[in-house]
Amino acid sequence: MSSPALTRTPTQTVQAFLDAFARHDIDAAIAVIDPQVSVTVHPLGLHQVGADALREVLADLVRGFPDLVISVSRVITTGDVVTALFKAEGTQSAGYAGAINQEKHLDIDQAWRFVTGGGLITEVTAYWCQTQLYRRLAVKRFDEIAIV
Amino acid sequence: MTEVTQRPRTAESAAGVVTEFFDRYRAHDVEGMTDLCSINAGFCYVPVELWGKQRVLRADGTVGTIGKPLWTGLIASFPNLSNTVHTITSNDDGDVVAEVDIEGTQQLAWGLITPAGRHYREPHLFIFHVGPDLLIDSITAYWNDAGISRQLGHNEVD
Repeated sequence: MSSPALTRTPTQTVQAFLDAFARHDIDAAIAVIDPQVSVTVHPLGLHQVGADALREVLADLVRGFPDLVISVSRVITTGDVVTALFKAEGTQSAGYAGAINQEKHLDIDQAWRFVTGGGLITEVTAYWCQTQLYRRLAVKRFDEIAIV
Repeated sequence: MTEVTQRPRTAESAAGVVTEFFDRYRAHDVEGMTDLCSINAGFCYVPVELWGKQRVLRADGTVGTIGKPLWTGLIASFPNLSNTVHTITSNDDGDVVAEVDIEGTQQLAWGLITPAGRHYREPHLFIFHVGPDLLIDSITAYWNDAGISRQLGHNEVD
């Protein structure tokens, strides 16, 4: 009998990740991630290997914005690559990416590109604009992020 | 009657159109880039937003009205503007996703950034849709504009 992971399509694999992330269930999101996943989050300057790196990215977001809402607008499947376009919205409740908490509202359009294989996500690359993020969090300068 | 034969749209032919688009972009052939797009092709550069006192201007419209002037201005400000295409993936519905580094050395003002002769190189994700006529009918791009600002020596968020 084949494992459930092997029968998942690339779209289903990424949809399972997005659904879990949207309900802040990080364990469920990481369940569809290859332990040796390559993680690149360009706005954070993050390039690492391993599911723990991605777990930390997701946990930081949920910790910083406990009412985080993920609204997926498009999921584009091109072979084993799945690209998800979504908006992340929430109210800051803790420090995030160096920005102190001023209880500002965040709404950022993002694109995450996933590579899948064997029913798991083997590569994640995230794109969003940190200028937009800092603007919404009332940060004035990139070289003095914690000063408002 | 003249019969026009045209390549069918497949994942491969759609990807070929996008490859040609970046070749022309690298050659600073803005007219050629536009020629690969349909007349009302949609255009959205998500990170571009200029906050005024009463409204926010976004790079969201069509290739003809927003994209073409933006590309022309970018090339004027960064005369050695170039791109490196890392991956292109596509499907038979005409969706094409490209990971591309854009780079250049600033010679003229770009937005609020005064020229200091600095170079930037920033990863971009482009999402295209290529129609059945093998013309691009939608371009959307994402990148971290803070990365560009900081590389050009501009540390103010606005």
